[in-house]
Amino acid sequence: MEPDVSIETDCEIRVAVLPIGGPIPPPRLRDYLSMLSGHRRVDLSSVSSFYTEHQKSPFTHQPWDSGSLRFKYVVGGAPPSPWEDFQSCRKTLAVVGLCHCPSSPDLSLVADLFAAACKPYTSALVHRCFAFCPSDSQLDEGKKVDKVILFPPSDRQTQEIHMLTMVQDLAASLLMEFEKWVLRAESAGTILKTPLDSQSSLSSEEVIKAKKRRLGRAQKTIGDYCLLAGSPVDANAHYSTAIELARLTGDVFWHAGALEGSVCALLVDRAGQKDATLEEEVKYRYYTVIQLYRRAYLQDNAQRVSTVSFELEAALKLARYLCRQELAKEVVELLMGAADGAKSLIDASDRLILYVEIARIYGSLGYQRKAAFFSRQVAQLYLQQDNSFAAISALQVLSLTSKAYHVQSRGASQKQDTLSNSLGPSHADGGKMHQQSVVSLFESQWSTLQMVVLREILMSSVRAGDPLAAWSAAARLLRSYYPLITPAGQSGLASSLVNSSERLPAGTRCADPALPFIRLHSFPIHPSQMDIVKRSPAKEEWWAGSAPSGPFIYTPFSKGGSNDSNKQELTWIVGEPVQVLVELANPCGFDLVVESIYLSVHSGNFDAFPVSVNLPPNSAKVILLSGIPTKVGPVLIPGCKVHCFGVITEHLFKDVDNLLLGAAQGLVLSDPFRSCGSGKLKIVSVPNISVVPPLPLLVSHVVGGDGAAILYEGEIRDIAISFTNAGTVPVEQAHISLSGKNQDSVISIARESLRSALPLKPGAEVTLPVTIKAWQLGMMDSDHASSKNSSGVSRISKEGSIPLLVIHYAGPLTYNESPKNGDFVSPGRRLVVPLHVCVLQGLRFVKARLLSMEIPAHVHDSLPNPIFVDDGSAEVVTSPNSVNSLVKIDPYSGSWVFRLLELELSNPTDVVFEVNVSVRMDGTNNGNGVTSIQNYAADFGYPKTRIDCDFSARVLIPLEHFKLPVLDGSFFAKESQTTDGLGSKISNPAERNSKAELNASINNLITKIKVRWQSGRNSSGELNIKDAIQAALQASMMDILLPEPLTFLFTLAKNGIANEGIKSPKELSEQTIVAGDSSIQSASGSNTRFKGSISAHEMTPMEVLIRNNTKEPIQMSLSVTCRDVAGENCIEGSKATVLWAGVLTGIQLEVPPLEEVSHSFSLYFLVPGDYTLMGSAIINSATEMLRARARTDSSEETIFCRGSPFHINVVGAL
Amino acid sequence: MIVCVAVVGQQNNPLYLQSFTEAGDELKLHHIVHCSLDVIDERVNNPKKSWPTLNETFLGLLYPSENYKVYGYLTNTKVKFILVTIDMEVKDADMRNFFRRFHAAFVDAVSNPFHVPGKKITSRSFASRVSAIVKSFGSGTTA
Repeated sequence: MEPDVSIETDCEIRVAVLPIGGPIPPPRLRDYLSMLSGHRRVDLSSVSSFYTEHQKSPFTHQPWDSGSLRFKYVVGGAPPSPWEDFQSCRKTLAVVGLCHCPSSPDLSLVADLFAAACKPYTSALVHRCFAFCPSDSQLDEGKKVDKVILFPPSDRQTQEIHMLTMVQDLAASLLMEFEKWVLRAESAGTILKTPLDSQSSLSSEEVIKAKKRRLGRAQKTIGDYCLLAGSPVDANAHYSTAIELARLTGDVFWHAGALEGSVCALLVDRAGQKDATLEEEVKYRYYTVIQLYRRAYLQDNAQRVSTVSFELEAALKLARYLCRQELAKEVVELLMGAADGAKSLIDASDRLILYVEIARIYGSLGYQRKAAFFSRQVAQLYLQQDNSFAAISALQVLSLTSKAYHVQSRGASQKQDTLSNSLGPSHADGGKMHQQSVVSLFESQWSTLQMVVLREILMSSVRAGDPLAAWSAAARLLRSYYPLITPAGQSGLASSLVNSSERLPAGTRCADPALPFIRLHSFPIHPSQMDIVKRSPAKEEWWAGSAPSGPFIYTPFSKGGSNDSNKQELTWIVGEPVQVLVELANPCGFDLVVESIYLSVHSGNFDAFPVSVNLPPNSAKVILLSGIPTKVGPVLIPGCKVHCFGVITEHLFKDVDNLLLGAAQGLVLSDPFRSCGSGKLKIVSVPNISVVPPLPLLVSHVVGGDGAAILYEGEIRDIAISFTNAGTVPVEQAHISLSGKNQDSVISIARESLRSALPLKPGAEVTLPVTIKAWQLGMMDSDHASSKNSSGVSRISKEGSIPLLVIHYAGPLTYNESPKNGDFVSPGRRLVVPLHVCVLQGLRFVKARLLSMEIPAHVHDSLPNPIFVDDGSAEVVTSPNSVNSLVKIDPYSGSWVFRLLELELSNPTDVVFEVNVSVRMDGTNNGNGVTSIQNYAADFGYPKTRIDCDFSARVLIPLEHFKLPVLDGSFFAKESQTTDGLGSKISNPAERNSKAELNASINNLITKIKVRWQSGRNSSGELNIKDAIQAALQASMMDILLPEPLTFLFTLAKNGIANEGIKSPKELSEQTIVAGDSSIQSASGSNTRFKGSISAHEMTPMEVLIRNNTKEPIQMSLSVTCRDVAGENCIEGSKATVLWAGVLTGIQLEVPPLEEVSHSFSLYFLVPGDYTLMGSAIINSATEMLRARARTDSSEETIFCRGSPFHINVVGAL
Repeated sequence: MIVCVAVVGQQNNPLYLQSFTEAGDELKLHHIVHCSLDVIDERVNNPKKSWPTLNETFLGLLYPSENYKVYGYLTNTKVKFILVTIDMEVKDADMRNFFRRFHAAFVDAVSNPFHVPGKKITSRSFASRVSAIVKSFGSGTTA
């Protein structure tokens, strides 16, 4: 059998092409052959110029204008076929020698060698020897050696033209030889033998038969030559005669041959046309041919020579002719028949050729699986031959089948990919690729077949001595089918991997990955110290609007987006190492040693650092791969490069993702990660990574240790934080802000010192002092603390509660090396420095109380203190040392008040605290007449209060008189607008409004009071007393702050009515003195100072001053009462002890706003002793404001004002 | 005698393959089933050509080899049933009948809520039912 047969094979002239002389370099030989083999068809029209008709041509119908000669070049020649008489196309009719002159200098030797080489080709009619690239000397010599045709050295085009000429000359010579042969055969006849004939015993009968048959056979052979000479019409005529003769003589075999030839002649004649009738004709004749061959085979079955190969060849020829989709069924039948016939073929190489041809035809029919099946048969036949060339062939054939079985090597499939999709895979079309590869996963379930194919590939490549192919096959087998292979088999594969790698040079790469399975685990986010912030150069605050704003470093939204490949973007920085987590799995039963694994980066701007890993059997591991970006631009990480089993392979993340997807759908045998006990399916896609130019990098550390500072509540401490620029670019902009909890505990940051240090050169350091006041522990914390206290642990440090120092900084605005995109702005960075503070509980408040006491004033003749200045503001004149006095006189009511804030503190800590109270004073009074607070010295000079551990102590804080001078309607403004009784409800917003205002003024007061503490040498702080004071004052707020609408003041009338003037001037002067000193000594509480001021049995003129503290005039009816020590009213009633002149009750008065009205009267005390005078007034037609002040609910209620009592000491008359 | 039945999914993925011979030619049967997909593919892809009745599920003889005959059946969901027999004379009606019963068994098997479409059929009751059908087919022809 011959390979590559078709119906038209019969008209091809076989030319043996032999290399002659010295060795020809393979590329040269290939070059020469390609020049030659380009001329498979030589048109008769072009041959005619070389053709000379020596005698009348036997080819009478030769189509000189349309016909052609066909050549079939057999490189290296072929041994003569025993059947060459039967089919002339099997003869080698010409020999062409190829010689490479530089390697064979002696041309005459070449000529001799060529002649020797031509010897075996007995049927060759024409010999040509072409010599290429001759030297000049050889050109000279070549003129003598006429057997060798020298091709002048020139360019390829010229040589091709030369070659064309030579081939045309060859064709013409052959044509003339054919003519000669035919003429000789026609005249003299010829002996034609086939192996069939030689076997037959020559009985007399046979001889006669043979003589009869000879004519027919000669006609058939002449027909063959006509066909070869390109004259189908002549051929057809001869074939018809031959068929007739063969039929008559019963020469079945030759009959079939002639019929075959006639079909070929028919096709050549109808060159190119293909219609249904022609096809029918061909089909009909060929089926006859097959029948005839079969008959010949059966007939000659007794003989040892089998002609079955001719039958099979005929079947293949027809199948190839018919090979079309529509006729698939017919072709398949033919091929199946041929395949069945393979059993009757004796020669293994015949069977090989048959299977090859069957596989080829199936392949061109589109039956890939059947083609693969027969290819496997071919490979098995090759493997039966025990030599490495056959093994190589087997390997090649199996590689062809691997596609049909979906086990092809990645290297082969990648070539196809790049052909079909020259753009290459990108992230965008990942989804589409996914879909396709998932579909292909389905077909990859024929594991039984696939494993067999891979095993055969492995075996044949081992035998062929191709370690790389062996490695690749073993890798594919192990990676794809490990669940189906026993642990022993897995180890066997592993050892065959190792064995084949030993025969490979170090650093060999293979397209097919073996183990381990690698998937992307995650990209660690930049630590907060290295955060990158986008910079918008237009804004002053360039970091604003960049992704993580707000109080959270991580927002839940950005976290959720990590799975979405489109959204996630990573920025890496040139020169700063980055890390990627990948997960490796070894699902096999042996120890896997990964010599090195590193990220495979195709963009070429990344230096990856290799890592070596050991994976125990059935285990998975997450490892950290790192590298350094080297250049600006995008980074693509499709997978990892792995050096394992001695070969470097690239493992793509995408493949494993597909595998896992398939495993999730049950398409793939097993999920390697799950079988190793690793987590669930989680597909992490590679984000878009871009590399930006170097940025500055600030590194912070706290001077004196990075540990948490342990502070007591309220303690104030300076912390120095030093920043170092660890990057390679100076910091040019920096801005400090605070975030996190307890921000207000940071009292001051030396922003200036940072700003003045800019630009911070690489390596430079700046130290920044920060003052922190430890915050108050919350309720939860303190509860926590108290519970902890019992067990002796009292420190609380919660990560969440510490303030964070956020520093946004950036390098130079523009980066010179990226001129392409002019608007490129190098991003800034953010450094988050947590101020590690551990707050301990300090002093605890137990209670806070307002201590208030009122001491009634004594009646005297002059106002003690208020002096009205022009602008209406009042100032209390006090003696210089009144500062130290805790008792202050109320300038309006005239009574002595004594207000203290008492704080009870306990010390649950194990250190001693000393508490010190100071009040900061305003230097000036406000213009609107806040009179109360005067200039105090900052320090009271009180001794410090010491509080020992586990003890409590009280601290007194003086509260000065804070009353406002005017009862202003603004406090109650809202209330006056409301018309009905509801207006005075507590829930009223106005009430709240006023409260807020009150609170504000209280806050104002509180901020002036500082309670400092000190503990040991280093700790000092301030007590937060705000809440305590507020709580203590809240209840009596109004009374403290707001003045009464009316105040009453009793005095002795100096120049009152009549006899008062008689009062001894001495007494008067004494009284003034006393009045002057009153505030000095009154603290002692002694009232003996007033002795003799008022005598019994004397008419004492007095006056009551009524001051209106509101801004509206008030009409009232005033009454004055006098009570004795027992509290009895001593003015009225039958037993009155005081006589009086003037009006004491029901005095109708109108007091203009902010002014005083005096009312005079006289008293006559009958009995010496202590008396109390008190003024009271019923206000007529009270305004809403007054009602509110009086806290009345209904508008009908009368408003009653009562002054504070005044004491009068009446001495006896003596 | 039926030597092998197979169910092949939409994507030409084997869902079920059971051989009924004692000899160890399972691999060969795998190959035969795999190769017969060529023909089915062709018919699936070009339903108009050469296949007159569109609704016909029975594909008939797929290809005869030296020892075996391969018959095919295509469901509406493009699931293929393939049968390999060594009987050289089989009536089409028997074959249709067989495939109809086989189809019913398959439908019952995939109606199992625990069956994942696209996964191999591992149901034991399906296997026993199939072998019963196969046995009855053999006896049917002999009887």
